[in-house]
Amino acid sequence: MTSTDIGLWVTGGMLVMVILGMRVAYAAAMAGFVGLIWIFWSKTGYAPDRFFYFNERREMWDGALGKAFLTAGQVPHGKVTNQALSLIPTFILIGYLAYYAGLTRALFEAAKRWIAWLPGGLAVSTVFATAGFAAVSGASVATAAVFARIAIPEMLKVGYDKRFAAGVVAAGGTLASLIPPSAILVIYAIIVEQDVGRLLLAGFIPGMFSAFVYAALIVGLALTIPNFGPPVTGFTWKQRFESLPPALPIVAVVVIIVFFVYNPFGGDAWGTPTEGGAIGAFIVFLMALWRGMRWPELKDALVETAKLSIMIFTIIWGVLIYVRFLGFAQLPKVFSDWITSLDYPPMLILICILLAYAVLGMFMDAIGMLLLTLPVVYPAVMALNGGEFVSAADSAFGMNGTMCAIWFGILVVKMAEFCLITPPIGLNCFVVAGVRPELSVQDVFRGVMPFFVADAVTIALLVAFPAIVLWLPSLA
Amino acid sequence: MAGAASVLEDDSLLSRLDQRLAKLEWGMAFVSGLGAFALMILAVRSVGGRELFEAPLRGYVDWIEMAMPLIAIFGISYVQRQGGHIRMDIVIGQLSGRSLWLLELVTTFFALVLMVFLVVGAWAHFDRSFDFAAQNWSRDSTIDIGLPIWPAKLVVPVAFGVVCLRMILQMVGFGRAFWLGLERPVAVPLVLSAAEQAQAEAEHMTGHDA
Amino acid sequence: TEWNVSVWGKRRAFTEHIHKLAELVEEKTDGAFTMNISYGGLSKNRENLDGISIGAFEMAQFCAGYHPDKNRAITVLELPFLGVQTLDEEVAVSHAVYDHPAVADEMAQWNAMMLMTSPMPQYNIVGTGEARSELSEFDGMRVRATGGIGQAFEAVGAVPTSVTSSEAYQAMESGVVDTVAFAQHAHLSFGTINEADWWTANLNPGTVNCPVVVNIDAYDMLSDEERAALDESVPEAIDYYLSNYGELLKRWDEVLAEKDVQKVEISDEELAKFKDVAGQPIHDAWIADMSAQGLPAQELYDLVQATLAEQRGN
Ligand code: NA
Ligand code: NA
Repeated sequence: MTSTDIGLWVTGGMLVMVILGMRVAYAAAMAGFVGLIWIFWSKTGYAPDRFFYFNERREMWDGALGKAFLTAGQVPHGKVTNQALSLIPTFILIGYLAYYAGLTRALFEAAKRWIAWLPGGLAVSTVFATAGFAAVSGASVATAAVFARIAIPEMLKVGYDKRFAAGVVAAGGTLASLIPPSAILVIYAIIVEQDVGRLLLAGFIPGMFSAFVYAALIVGLALTIPNFGPPVTGFTWKQRFESLPPALPIVAVVVIIVFFVYNPFGGDAWGTPTEGGAIGAFIVFLMALWRGMRWPELKDALVETAKLSIMIFTIIWGVLIYVRFLGFAQLPKVFSDWITSLDYPPMLILICILLAYAVLGMFMDAIGMLLLTLPVVYPAVMALNGGEFVSAADSAFGMNGTMCAIWFGILVVKMAEFCLITPPIGLNCFVVAGVRPELSVQDVFRGVMPFFVADAVTIALLVAFPAIVLWLPSLA
Repeated sequence: MAGAASVLEDDSLLSRLDQRLAKLEWGMAFVSGLGAFALMILAVRSVGGRELFEAPLRGYVDWIEMAMPLIAIFGISYVQRQGGHIRMDIVIGQLSGRSLWLLELVTTFFALVLMVFLVVGAWAHFDRSFDFAAQNWSRDSTIDIGLPIWPAKLVVPVAFGVVCLRMILQMVGFGRAFWLGLERPVAVPLVLSAAEQAQAEAEHMTGHDA
Repeated sequence: TEWNVSVWGKRRAFTEHIHKLAELVEEKTDGAFTMNISYGGLSKNRENLDGISIGAFEMAQFCAGYHPDKNRAITVLELPFLGVQTLDEEVAVSHAVYDHPAVADEMAQWNAMMLMTSPMPQYNIVGTGEARSELSEFDGMRVRATGGIGQAFEAVGAVPTSVTSSEAYQAMESGVVDTVAFAQHAHLSFGTINEADWWTANLNPGTVNCPVVVNIDAYDMLSDEERAALDESVPEAIDYYLSNYGELLKRWDEVLAEKDVQKVEISDEELAKFKDVAGQPIHDAWIADMSAQGLPAQELYDLVQATLAEQRGN
């Protein structure tokens, strides 16, 4: 049995465990662990005495089993100490603190007073308020939960269809993972070993672009469907300007995070992304203190931050044990050799990969899906483009290796976000239905359907015009 | 607290053990949270020191490296108690009663086997960095200011050890539910449908809306 | 026999001798002995020694400064201002130290055996703004430098700052640091040269030492023919590395000219001052510290000096 065969068997076994409902982290780690035993034992020609072998000279497990648990045992500590990963708890903490700082309501109020006069105005306001909150929140689900409470009642009050109102919030929530900060973009950057700062920067325009596509869709619907949802007018300029100061901290945080990555005025950036995220969190923390957050709320925010961070990190190290095994089995290389040997146009293969993500994402959680697939898929996509060091001129997609990594990252994250609103497992929709007792999950899925079209359009445009993604990072 | 409601409690020995352990687990998760907070303070000190006082924090990267296992791993058992680790529930969500408890029992057993091996492996990883005879007991140090790494490596087997205890308790809980054919057993995370899970998440946000 | 070899990053001048070694060994054994070189797939770079000790893979590269406590003895080679000037000298002192029993003992604790070094040129600094060529000008300078080189800069009043090598460019661009200390190939591959206004051509503050080691059990299990092929390929692999790095150094001068980077020559007088503050005192402290920990520190230190003198004598 070749190491590739071992790789395929173990991967199959992992999928079975995942489908049966074993926690994804444990299933992946278990697969990696069994795979390591198998690979190490196969190197000894499956000698029976080399399975449990104890080396007395070294007082150490030297058999396949011992080597496997010693190798796997390095991974949890070794991998979580990656400096870039320290952004994840920071980004999560920002989101919880922003909530206590009252930034959510302030944003929605400001968006309403400024743009609710448009056709379908309150829905458009919701989209831009979620986009604004996305600038401090690193997690989509949390964003959807918060806005379901604030925005849906207001839309119902002026006569929106309840299903559509729910759909707007579920879709708007997905913006949080494109617009920086974004936990999922950090995870992508870690897996593919690309610069975190550039990737975060790259998410900004596609995120805003998505927001505008959503807004355009809503305005279009409002113009064609009678009694859709009336514009909300009558705010004076005074009221409009009064709504701005409470929302201003968002701008401060955005400016800080962006400036720490890249100075748009051409001067020096202010620091590193790691520092930027933490300073942003600190400002929101001060804001929350000022708005009345005290020890009980802070304690709660810290434990919730820990919970979500640990959940994410457990998947990360679990999957990385599996990935460590893949390194020994050389499966990613075999897969990417196979992909590049296919006799189809690279663009067609890329589109097939994205479609596969759409299908997979119907059933899987976004982070788990990316962690499980990227170690194999990413090298294949890079090879498809012509390799890591390819120049734009020689490449299949018209961009150099680094840019291809960024572009594919944004596409994949957008796909993962799309999966948050597609049935049968669309976590954002579940959350919205959970917050609003009057809405069933089916209602939310019905309401969010128009946004599939918007997302499909967005993804198609990002594929067709990579410049939307690459313009900003190419400046940095 | 989100999800806490999914573990039932009563006066039985099992449930009392569960609650005892849960206190410890909450404490460990709280330490993880404090770690995240410390990360923020560390950055403020680093940037502030550099920009205002020409005194950057020496070894900023090293301190992050020391803090990360605490944040990312130390509280893992708290999440395990609440059944908070991500999984796919298309199969398990269809089951109920004995078949459900049996599958839970089996998957928890495999997870326990894995974690026991990881405790051994992570302990060995710690042990390679630790030497009673050496200065600071250290045989592995950070890159910049040479902090001994062993305390950070020790976090992992300790946290995983607590998870093993938790998994043993849960296996007893699932086994008991299977044997007695219980509907709502204590001391195990009850399967929430994705919708119920979302409900719990939503409730957590309720009452904090500023 | 098939060996797994764990290195990190991307294929570059720094890993060329390993590829050459693999090629030579395969040739000499008619394909009976092959090496499968993995960039980061088998281990994290700072845990390569752990991987060797476990026996997860058979050969690996690591750097002494990544974890001084794992390899105290060879940190002598990372002391600042040792006076090594060329890559040939670096090879000579490294291999002399590797042959010392104290080093072999320490490596044996990791079940490892030294095979060869990966000679690195001196870590000169690139900087932004006005060139700094006098000792006094280093006061308050924020420099990205680690280990012994960091200590040296600290001794002259500079402020060593922690950023990872992959964040070094960002740190320089953002003014987190004014200067970055790297070998030439790293200035090229991490892009710090693109931000630079000047480069110190002769400060030569020190370098990092990155050996290639093999797992002792795996080495013992090789057939005599395979072991001979491995041992006798080392000098050839090192020669290849040196000539390849030589090409890179030639290109370095072109890059400096092309990017209009000023080449700063520091006067002998200033260099002497530098060594007074940041050389000998740090050496003495190292000897005292390591002796206290039971290492033959003075012996190792003298060995470096003697080898250097001998090399110069040739
Ligand atoms: Na965001
Ligand atoms: Na879905």
